[in-house]
Amino acid sequence: MTVATAESVLSIKDLNVEFSGFKALKGVNLEVYDGEIVTIIGPNGAGKSTLLDAIVSKSPVASGHVYYHGKDITNKLPYEIARMGIGRKFQNPNVYNELTVFDNILLALKGTHGIFSSIMAKLTKAKKGKIYDVLERTGLLDQAFDEVSSLSHGQKQWVEIAMVLAQDPSIVLLDEPTAGMTTEETHATGEIIKSIAKSHSIVVIEHDMEFVKQIAERIVVLHQGAVLAEGSVQEVQSNPKVIEVYLGRETINAAA
Amino acid sequence: MSNVVMGYKQSTFPKKLAIVSGIILLAFVILPFMVGSFQLSLMSKLLLFGALAVSLDLVWGFTGILSFAHGVFFTLGGYAVAYYLKLNLSAENNNYGGDIPDFMVWNGLEVLPWFIAPLKYFPVAFLAMIGVPALFAYITGSFIFRSKVSGVYITIITLALSSALTTFFISQQAYTGGTNGITDVSKLSVFGMVIPPVGLYFLILAYTAFVVALAWWLTQSNFGLILRSINENENRISFLGYDVAQYKIFVWTLSAALAGVAGGLFVPLNRFISPVYLAVAFGTQVVIWVAIGGRGTIVGPLAAAMILGQVQNSAERVTQDWNLIVGILLLVVVLFIPNGLMSLVPKKFSLSNLSKPKPMPETVVKPVAPSVSEPQPEPVQRGS
Ligand SMILES: Nc1ncnc2c1ncn2[C@@H]1O[C@H](COP(=O)(O)OP(=O)(O)O)[C@@H](O)[C@H]1O
Ligand SMILES: [Mg+2]
Repeated sequence: MTVATAESVLSIKDLNVEFSGFKALKGVNLEVYDGEIVTIIGPNGAGKSTLLDAIVSKSPVASGHVYYHGKDITNKLPYEIARMGIGRKFQNPNVYNELTVFDNILLALKGTHGIFSSIMAKLTKAKKGKIYDVLERTGLLDQAFDEVSSLSHGQKQWVEIAMVLAQDPSIVLLDEPTAGMTTEETHATGEIIKSIAKSHSIVVIEHDMEFVKQIAERIVVLHQGAVLAEGSVQEVQSNPKVIEVYLGRETINAAA
Repeated sequence: MSNVVMGYKQSTFPKKLAIVSGIILLAFVILPFMVGSFQLSLMSKLLLFGALAVSLDLVWGFTGILSFAHGVFFTLGGYAVAYYLKLNLSAENNNYGGDIPDFMVWNGLEVLPWFIAPLKYFPVAFLAMIGVPALFAYITGSFIFRSKVSGVYITIITLALSSALTTFFISQQAYTGGTNGITDVSKLSVFGMVIPPVGLYFLILAYTAFVVALAWWLTQSNFGLILRSINENENRISFLGYDVAQYKIFVWTLSAALAGVAGGLFVPLNRFISPVYLAVAFGTQVVIWVAIGGRGTIVGPLAAAMILGQVQNSAERVTQDWNLIVGILLLVVVLFIPNGLMSLVPKKFSLSNLSKPKPMPETVVKPVAPSVSEPQPEPVQRGS
């Protein structure tokens, strides 16, 4: 077993993911250190979502390893990975539409998640406090008792983020958290993410270069299932390989 | 203050629900003194079908697992009690002297099989009535829900279980009584005294009330919220750290035990049990009760089982085409009222609503500081 660097929270080694012969990830390596924000960018179909899927065992890993705090978690069951402290927000809002916002957060709340405790559970002051705290941080207090189906797309994204926060994970994986949001909503989301970063490590997939500049510390560029470049916003934007991949693309040109 | 939150039990039993269920229960308590013995035994049977429907509602209505195997759990509990009652026939009622049931003798058995003999004792039979269906469910459930099988394939497995067990019970004639099943069993008695039909009725009423109360209590808790979430999107909840398979195995096993006891109580009433109740046709009937009553409503499946059972009983005397009528009714419900008859009842009267005090607006604590994401609202102009 490879021993990862001391303060490395997540360590991905030579990761390969295949979908019936199609290589979606080809030997990806990535380290995520304690308390940092790693932003993953790359064209559509580059394998960004697949990378997060492989970390939480949504997609099966063909070869390679995922280490979490030095422990091999490759292909463990999704619920085991979640219990270890890895929280995931999906690309498309993946929330419980028929339940209220409050109940969605309640479900996500960190706890034992055992059958007996779920039957006997009482809604304590402490739990309510935690839920309201998460709702306040994501600006959802006024919608607490609305059915999620009645919310806008942007608000549903926040419900997802709030669910991840309620899990109190040590690392947060966010897949396109600002998709479908207005400029103000996007900016507000950036501020939420920065506030999360004070106590969590974050991996975030993003398209919007304005947003990336707002939050980014370290950027990883994925292209055709492999890491193309890595570095600060400036380093990545001036990297000739990245320019070539993004040639003619509005987002990076506008941002550059 | 948290009363509007679905996922948690109320600290006190809701008053409105207590009144409504009290009135209904009272009607059932008075009933035996108003009807004849035939109607009383029919009511007893219908209550058991109601309990069976509620047990399936936990699995299908709340958790989303469509099962045609609930007749199997029912029947396994039934056979446990049938062996007990058969082995306790007094010597003069048994053609072969009371040691070995008649059907075993007819099929060439000379000694009582060792695995059936202990069922002569009440505690063993009682445990078997609950334990055999539960264990069977636990084993099949562990296999099904821990595997990669999902959705419609699970339903196909339940169909296969039902057919396989029917065939097995019919083929093992010496041990099971074959197609006829176990007939001419003794009456149920305690301390040498036979329980009269009214007594049996109250026993069954108490059990059905228990099943309804248990189902309500479980589904009002955080556990119920988790079952609903599994139903809506079981993938998502596993990424929140829930072991979905564990929850499914639990509710599947619990439901089987509840169905098994209903089957166990059915035998002293019916005085026989046979593979008819193992077969897919009976399992389908249970599914139809739940579908017509309304999935995930507890009261709907209970009422549908009892009403359809009553109608079936009356219709069978007039026409042989009862199944055709049910088929048409099911078609109408599925096409026009996909959420079942309970969805026609105003929300106001639904079980979950009766148990819930009016939402209190002050439940939402206003943020002390404006949240990052929302602009300060303009002060509201108050018109007078
Ligand atoms: N479950 C799947 N089955 C088959 N192919 C998939 C699956 N998930 C992703 N892919 C393929 O893998 C590639 C990478 O997809 P994805 O990771 O979603 O890209 P993106 O970088 O846009 O998030 C795409 O070509 C996509 O079609
Ligand atoms: Mg993607």
